[in-house]
Amino acid sequence: MNDKVLEDTLAADSIGADAALAASGDASAFERLYRTHVNRIHSLVRRMLDADEADDLTQDVFVRAWEKLSTFRGESAFGTWLHRLAVNVVLGRRKTLGVERGRFQTGEDPLEGVSAKRHTPELSMDFEEALANLPDGARQVFVLHDVEGYRHEEIGRMLGIVPGTSKSQLHHARMALRRYLDR
Amino acid sequence: MNDQWTDRLSEYVDDELANGERTALEAHLATCAACRATVEDLRKVVARARALDDSAPKANLWPGVAKRIGAGKVVDIRSRRFSFNVPQLIAASIALMLLSGGGAWLALKPPQIASDGPFTPAPSQGQLQATWTGKTDAAIADLQNVFDRNKSRLDTSTVRVVQQAFTTIDRAIAEARTALQADPSDAYLNLHLADTMRRKLELLRRVNALATAQS
Repeated sequence: MNDKVLEDTLAADSIGADAALAASGDASAFERLYRTHVNRIHSLVRRMLDADEADDLTQDVFVRAWEKLSTFRGESAFGTWLHRLAVNVVLGRRKTLGVERGRFQTGEDPLEGVSAKRHTPELSMDFEEALANLPDGARQVFVLHDVEGYRHEEIGRMLGIVPGTSKSQLHHARMALRRYLDR
Repeated sequence: MNDQWTDRLSEYVDDELANGERTALEAHLATCAACRATVEDLRKVVARARALDDSAPKANLWPGVAKRIGAGKVVDIRSRRFSFNVPQLIAASIALMLLSGGGAWLALKPPQIASDGPFTPAPSQGQLQATWTGKTDAAIADLQNVFDRNKSRLDTSTVRVVQQAFTTIDRAIAEARTALQADPSDAYLNLHLADTMRRKLELLRRVNALATAQS
């Protein structure tokens, strides 16, 4: 066993241990889990929804995780379980806001909001900013598929759309974002 | 650029086209510079997405979470519905050890072993029904080999103290293994063994780091 494998094993053991302790009510263990995962969860939420909601939603994710820890059985890594829970919280928030209305119309032009700012140098955006300016539907499909690695069938089930719509939204998002690649 | 293939280029990049469509599109790409450039850009977008870095929130969100979950208050664990399997209990013991040197756990549940009796040699690994120890055994063996190679870099008194600690830990491991032979599924004994093995791992890592620093 080399040092890297040993370190990875110890890290995984530590997270699993904290998950078990947190499930028994140990808030200190849960805080360690929070510190380990907050950046990833916050980034996911920020990319899926508006940045000004990211803080509140991230807190919601961890509160929900605390409430649901008894259902974590350890079959998957804790990070995977938490990530999936975060996606569910985001999608639940999306429904609450009603932002899904009209967001998956295939005739929608996802380039409109992005390209309007691109031509003004002082407002020129980097890739993340351009991503944030995509319409909700295209942005969420792009984040779930290209950033988070979900398949179109999974995205379709999550968002209540057919895989073909997911593919179409993904293509529109990519076409918009290619103008914001670091050249 | 707006031909019949434009809207299929992402599917091509993702290798989601049927064989016939892929062949036809590749024939098109051989003659269409605009589509070739778009495919290249789309691949860069995918690579860029995968390389996005996670960033920390600007504010510390933990106080808000802590307040909502009641952190800081005494939690009655009987009010929380939970169940552990043995690996989870083992993992919990590791964390307890890291936090408190194992003392807290030992105070909660003394191991069901005879600590006053004569020292019993460790049974072979094959005798144990608890198979989870294999990976940790391998890690300990690797680190022990490193220590054996490097211990000459440490002064004699340090080596003596470390060897005494190893003797104590090895004895505890052997006792736990013996007790587990009688009841391999006993969660508390598994916890105790995991806790003790983890102590040896940590000690080996520290002393190896110290030896390396001396070189």
